[in-house]
Parts: sequence; structure tokens; C-alpha cells
Amino acid sequence: MDFSYFFELLINGALTGLMYSLVALGIVLIYKSAGVPNLAQGAMVMISAYVIWMFTSMVGLPVYVSIAVAVVVMFLFGLLAERLLLRKMVGQPIIMIVMLTLGLEIFLRGLGPGFLGAAPKQISLGIDMMPIIVGDVFINREYLIGGAIAVTMIALSLLFFRTRLGTKLRAVSDDHVSSWSVGISVERAIGISWGIAGVSAVAAGALWGSVQGVDWTLSMLLFPAVAVVILGGLDSIYGVLVGGLIVGILGSVIPGYVDPLVGGGTRDVVTSLIILLTIIFRPHGMFGREDIERV
Amino acid sequence: MKGLLKGLAGAAAMAAVGFTGAAKADDTIKFALLQDFTAVYTFVTDEYNQGQRDYLRLINEEGGINGHTFEALIRDTGNEPQRGIEAYNRARREGAVLVDFLSTPVSRAAVNRVLEDEIVMITVLHGRGDASDGQTFPFVFPMMATYWSQAALLADYIDNHGGGLEGKRIAHVYIDSPFGREPVPVLRELAERKGFELRTFAYPSPGNEQSATWSDVRRFRPDYVILWGAGGGQPVSVREAIRNGIPQENILSVVWMAETDARTVGTDLATGVKRFEAVATGTDYPIMQRIMEKVIEPGHGAGPRENVGTTYYNIGVASMAVAVEGARIALEEFGTPLTGDKLRRGMEMIEDFDAEGMMPPVTLSEEDHQGGGYGRVSRWDGSAWEPVTDWFNAHQDIVWEEIEKDAAGFREGR
Repeated sequence: MDFSYFFELLINGALTGLMYSLVALGIVLIYKSAGVPNLAQGAMVMISAYVIWMFTSMVGLPVYVSIAVAVVVMFLFGLLAERLLLRKMVGQPIIMIVMLTLGLEIFLRGLGPGFLGAAPKQISLGIDMMPIIVGDVFINREYLIGGAIAVTMIALSLLFFRTRLGTKLRAVSDDHVSSWSVGISVERAIGISWGIAGVSAVAAGALWGSVQGVDWTLSMLLFPAVAVVILGGLDSIYGVLVGGLIVGILGSVIPGYVDPLVGGGTRDVVTSLIILLTIIFRPHGMFGREDIERV
Repeated sequence: MKGLLKGLAGAAAMAAVGFTGAAKADDTIKFALLQDFTAVYTFVTDEYNQGQRDYLRLINEEGGINGHTFEALIRDTGNEPQRGIEAYNRARREGAVLVDFLSTPVSRAAVNRVLEDEIVMITVLHGRGDASDGQTFPFVFPMMATYWSQAALLADYIDNHGGGLEGKRIAHVYIDSPFGREPVPVLRELAERKGFELRTFAYPSPGNEQSATWSDVRRFRPDYVILWGAGGGQPVSVREAIRNGIPQENILSVVWMAETDARTVGTDLATGVKRFEAVATGTDYPIMQRIMEKVIEPGHGAGPRENVGTTYYNIGVASMAVAVEGARIALEEFGTPLTGDKLRRGMEMIEDFDAEGMMPPVTLSEEDHQGGGYGRVSRWDGSAWEPVTDWFNAHQDIVWEEIEKDAAGFREGR
């Protein structure tokens, strides 16, 4: 057995998984505070990348300044999404809110390419593309930096939920009516959670956009991100970390050995199986909270 | 009321492509460009369609063909066969004699309809390769090299410019789809004939993450890699190839590798990468000069000026140049009104047409709707794609074996 091949698949898979975690983090942040599974997160990643490209290429700002501007833009976008869309859905069945986020996903996916042109755009973060070589193992430097940023973002999110504001958001997630009754502004809390999800989308958009270019396919990162949150638990930030690692590693190691035997394309099968098996055997995921309601 | 509708239709025609006043609305030739502006083919559609519209505008500005001007009917299909067929039916009712879907799923779905309705369907660099068989698909025109011809040409390039194929290791790295797998039979046949080792490596669609695939490719230690993808997956493939130690000069790609891909890789880093080229890039050609002078400079361009002369823009221009040439011959030979059947016969009479040096000489006939399968290899030099060969074709015997095998399957309903 070629152990270096195995370790290369393992390490790059883990780093890829952490990059998926950046997308998944936005979904968890919103669910954890608003109780809404946001299916528009992939499109928010795409829009973030377009915003970075716009400020870099059209306005002429340095890329890292553009990222900072995009953070502000996407935070405001999150606030607006709550004000204009989510607030109107108060009292509606959760399935309709999920459908709303799906509609937002489709709308955003058309919006970016529609206004800025569908041809792929470029973002260069200036990361050296050459791999780090350890023995016969090639480690993707871009993914390594992406993984480090993902871990940092996850750690910051964990800390955030220990702050006063974070505690309010958790309370809102638990029960809107009770939160209102103790004077918490539920609307503001949900708006902030969407804003923070927008910020995490910027990190994902910058990193994935620099790897593959900026076009509508960035929105398809939603699929692996959904696998991450289902496996890790929709309301668990730890789950984003662990789920991301598992989805990334399985999605790298299994296809690495099975694809040559069956002629390719098993990674999507692996991701689908993760979603299906988790829902069947542990619907709340590895670290998600299991709500038991008395009827 | 009827007169009012006719007036509105005329006004719409004038608005669509630029009516010069040289012809009456009845003389307008309608080409339906029903393409995917919002889904899978977005990486190419904008530029390609812009080139098509600018070329038709140029012809109109120059007075059309004996006073016959062109109108482009533009609609989005979103790469969905149902929407494509709906748009096709509408365009047919409006009098379109030619349709271009620029989408393999939509054009495959429309094959039987265009054959039945006798409307020309062009399938430039997409669609069914077996449609090159003009006797089985009389109204379908690939007009440029099929994917089989492209694979044969790239292999031949390695054979003649890379120290021969014998004993070489060639990795075919492709997006896991029918498009990605299409050249495999031709490459396998060539591997047998030429004595090289071929291994295929798939990566999942859309190709934004390919690291596991390339770990395997590196262990195969290929002498050359042939990339078979499109859109965002292409720069990822090139970056992964370079990251895994494959020299840029040994990376070759299917036609879907453009300026944007090289820029995404990094203009310097991509230097040396090669690709199949169907149509010349840049604006140093008489047609492009006239487009600049009569369409772009006066502000009549159909899209951003910076797209003019790019790979996909020029392919769009060339596609319309061939179609308009077919219409010109048809009108000369068979008179007005131009019908789909007359256009087909006109296109089958095109001989050595090279769009004033922009593309390889295309000769279409009743039997051959591919036009010979010509192309060339170009290389990214840090700022542009520069040709490194003349126009040529290769191993058309193997290509036509595939064409005939699949065309027979279509005839037999397989």
C-alpha cells in the first residue's frame, strides 16, 4: 500500500473539508440564532466573491481592502435580507421560510452573472500556488491557508456565542416569544445572525474564488456544505469543524481508491450517502441538539 | 390589427440587430440563437453570442446579402431541453431558418424536430459528434471539429512535436460527464495504434475541487495530460497539474480554455499551456477589423468592448460567418424566399471557406457536416493564445469510424 498516497488524500481531504466548513458555518450561524436552515448560503458565497472582484477589478482597490469592503457589504446584505424578507415570514410555517431561502438562492445565482457577466472572473490573493512537499506528500498551500482561516472563523464563532450578544442570539433561537417577553429584540438578533453569515460567506467566497475563479458554480458549494451541517448538527459550531473534516476526508480518500476501479465520479455519491445515512440514523447530527417535544 | 402587428414585428426586427433600411422586413432572414445564458454554459455564452450578434450587425451594416438583412432571435433556455423546445417552437413560428442552442442537452433534444421541420441547426463545438454524418442528420451542422477530431489532433500534435507517442504515458483528465468521456474511444484506438499508455481520470462536476484526482494523476507519472473540461473546472485542472509537477508545456486542453481561464490560473503561471483552437483569436483579421470599424466604434456592439477578439467571441463570429455564407450561396443558387431546406443545401455547397483567414478552410458537403475536422494548437504566451501549428486535421479515419458507429445507432433508434 502506498501510504504517502493515503496521507496525501487524507490531509488534502481534511483541508478541503475545512474549506467547506467556511460555507457551512454561515448555515449554522443562522440556524443557531434564527432557527432557519438557509439554503441561500451557497449563493451568498458567490455574491461575496463577485463583490470582492467588483471592488478589485472595477474600482481598483487592493484585494484585501476589497475583502474588507465585502465584509461590510455582506453584513448589510444580511441585515437587509432579514428586514425585507425574513421579517415578513414571522408566524409562517418553517417550510415556507426554507422555500424563501431557496428562492433567494435562485435569485442571487441569476443576479451576479446577470449584472456582471457570466464569464469567470479572477481574484488573486497572492498565495503561492506551489505545494508544501513532505516526503512524497504534496500539501495544497491554498487549502492549508483556507483551512487555517476556517478554524479561526469557527473559533471566533464559538467565542461570539459566549458574549452577551451571542447569548441573546441563542435565546432567540430557543424561543422567539420568550425572548420578546424578556426584552430581546428578536428581529435585530436575527438580522445580526444573517449579517454574520454574510461575513463568513466573504471568507469562503474569497478563498474558493481565488482557487476556481468567480462564477455561478461557486453557489454549488452549498451541496457539500449541507452535508457538513447535517453530519455535524445544524445548530453546532463544533459540528461544523468535525463534520467538515469528515466530509472532506471521506470525499477524498474513498474516491481516491474507488474512482480508478469504477471509472470516476464517486465523491458526490459519498457526500449523498453522508446526508442520507445521517438523516436516517442520527437526524440531529453528531453534535446537534435533539429537541424532544411533549405532546 | 394585422397591419399593426406586422408593424410591431418590423420594429422589433429593426431593434434586434440593426435595420439598415436596405431591405424590407419581409426580406429579413431570421437566425434563432436560443442559448443558455443562465446555467451551465454561461462561461461561453455571453462572448459567443455577442460575437454572433456583432457579425450579423456587420452584415446588415454592409447592406445584407443582396438587400436581405439578418435578425437574431435571442432567448434564454437555461440549458433546459423543455425551455429550449418551447423557444424553438416560437422561433419556428416567427420564421427562423436556423437555430443555434449552444447546449448539448437542448440540441440533442431538438434533433428530431429540426429534421422533421427542415430547419438548420448548427452545433458548433457541442452537441452530437455523429451529426457530422450529413446523410443521417441532413439539417444538423457541427461545422467545426468534433470532440473526437480535437482529441485526434491533440494526440497527433504530441506525436509530431513531443517526440512521438510510442511509449509515452498520456493522462486524460476529464469532468465526469458524457462530454468528458466522449474522446475516450478515439484516444483508446490511438493508444493501440501508436503504442502509448492511456489512463483516464475523472473529477466530479463542476470541478471546483480536484485535489484527490490529481494525487492519482501524479503517481501515474504522465508525460502529457489532456484536459477535458469547461468553465470553472479548467483553471482548477491547470493549477492542480502544475502543483503536481507537470510542466505547463505538457498540458493540453480541449477547445474550452480561454483567456479568462489563463488569467484565473495566473497569466505567468499558465505560460506554456496548450489548447485545441478552432478559430483564431484577436482582431488582426479583416472581418474583425470591419466589426471594429462598423459595429464597435459607432457604438452598435452587442456587449462589452473588451470581449471583442476573445476566444469565444471569435468562435461566435466564425459560426455566423459560415452560416451567412451558406445563406448567401442558397440565395444565389435557389432564390428567395430562403427556407431551411435551401439554407441546408447552400451550406452543403460551402467550399474552403475560412472567414477571411480567421478559421481553417471549411468544406461542407451532403456527407460531411463537420467540415474536415480541422483546427490547430495554440499556446498561452503570458498574455495571449498564440498558434504553434498551422491548421491541420488528424486521424479522420478513426474519427469517422466513431461518427458512423453512432450515426448508425441513431438510425436504428438506439
